[in-house]
Amino acid sequence: MKFLLLFASLLLLAAAPFFGQVDLPIHALGTPGSMAYQVFWQIRIPHVLLAFLVGGILSLGGLIFQVVFRNPMSTPFTLGVASGATLFTAIAIIAGMSMLSPLFAFGGAMFTVLVLFGIAAHFRRHDPTALLLVGIALSFFYAAALMVAFYLSTLQESYEILRFTMGSLDVVGYENITLLGIASLFLLALVHYYRTPFKALLTSYEFAFLQGVNVKRLSYILLFGVSLAVGVAVSMTGPIGFVGLIIPHILTSLYRQSAEKLLLPSFFFGGVFLVFCDLIARNLGNADLPIGVVTSFVGAPFFIYLLLRRGK
Amino acid sequence: MQLKITDYTDDVLKQVSFTLHRGENLVILGANGVGKTTLAKVLCGLIPSECVEVCGINPSKHFGTKRAKYINYLPPKLEVYDAFLSVEAFLQLSHFNTALSIEGALKQLHVTHLKEQPCHTLSSGEAQLVLIASALLHGADFTLFDEPTANLDPVRMRKLFTLLRTDATLPSKLVITHNLDLAYRLGFDVLYLHQGSVAFHGSSEAFFAQENLDALYENSVRHIDGHVVVTL
Repeated sequence: MKFLLLFASLLLLAAAPFFGQVDLPIHALGTPGSMAYQVFWQIRIPHVLLAFLVGGILSLGGLIFQVVFRNPMSTPFTLGVASGATLFTAIAIIAGMSMLSPLFAFGGAMFTVLVLFGIAAHFRRHDPTALLLVGIALSFFYAAALMVAFYLSTLQESYEILRFTMGSLDVVGYENITLLGIASLFLLALVHYYRTPFKALLTSYEFAFLQGVNVKRLSYILLFGVSLAVGVAVSMTGPIGFVGLIIPHILTSLYRQSAEKLLLPSFFFGGVFLVFCDLIARNLGNADLPIGVVTSFVGAPFFIYLLLRRGK
Repeated sequence: MQLKITDYTDDVLKQVSFTLHRGENLVILGANGVGKTTLAKVLCGLIPSECVEVCGINPSKHFGTKRAKYINYLPPKLEVYDAFLSVEAFLQLSHFNTALSIEGALKQLHVTHLKEQPCHTLSSGEAQLVLIASALLHGADFTLFDEPTANLDPVRMRKLFTLLRTDATLPSKLVITHNLDLAYRLGFDVLYLHQGSVAFHGSSEAFFAQENLDALYENSVRHIDGHVVVTL
């Protein structure tokens, strides 16, 4: 089963760039200057890479958040990182600086992280639940501020903001991919470096502390690392929900292994899942569906199916 | 090398002070809610305090093996968040005492068959024994056991009693318990907490003298055939 899944995933990744709105003649892909060559190398391949890396970051981020917060509902967006990015993007659009919106989105995500950790510094003891609640409060605050932004914006601006919140994997060339690749490597290197204390977090905070782990510091480092990578991802694609929530759960159900063994699989299969959803989004109708719609349409029923199966 | 708490006071405990040298053992007794577990958490650094010193360091301010090798605390229940973390993986986390293997520790507690099992599937008694195995593998200078026999059947309780009395892996054992016979038979010095304060700290013989028991337990505890028994 696991082997089959891996094989199917690799096949999917290899085949994904060949499907899209335009059929590309395979013989022309190696001819520089041809239209097919341009579309394949400058649009399709970056598109698939973008989907893979963003899916990987969101999914691995979800797994880490769920362990750190002891909460199966946690996702990289729970702390308000995505809402921060969305709000700042809206501000950029209204201010007539749409070109700079990825920068604003990243700024919004990082600003949120800094606010959160600034508040957390006032907690006397390590209290992840309080941090989670602060994140939720921030999200609501941002959501309200976004409403104000909608209220103040023109029709055209509103449409732009709305499209951002739906998520999009449109990309041309490799600049963004390189940046996202660096963010992914950073996150993977971080969890690899901390994998032993991370394993201790799988017991209880107290037990981890008694084995010498600085639980508070470790939690903050992990949350900061995830938020940074997610900030980069969201600034390019907008908030793509659900991946961070369901992929870790699906993998736990399928693999039946502890979370520290699922770090790499969750990155890989998170990436595969988004590539798969993106394939559907690009090929189902005449126009591309927003990716966030597809992740939820595909993910939610499968997720519920797994929960029901587990219940039996 | 000593464990020392000086004038510790909080909502529950009042001016608690005592010193224990490495190699000495202690039984901590007291009524429910008197602050035994709080005291244990203060001693191991889970509750930060300036009043505690273990082998020259404040346990709440140091991390890594620097603290782990000095002090350890075993809660009354094994808590594991991950549903699939195996017993072996769990024990690896506290494997500081390389003189003892994981197999060796499991064998000592007669639970070798649990090695591959996820911690979540253990019964409360099995989980207790796995916790004790983790303490042996941890091998701290001072180990606090919080109600180690609470979930054990009589056979396993007896085995654990023998282990606590004869074990040489752990230099100093501090045992929190409500089981007076266990406390008596261990023969460790006794620290008795009453209304948040240290009401008695001394030898086992002095504590378990009948007149002392009568005064502390309102005539409900008796010596019978070399055991301390609650008269119901």
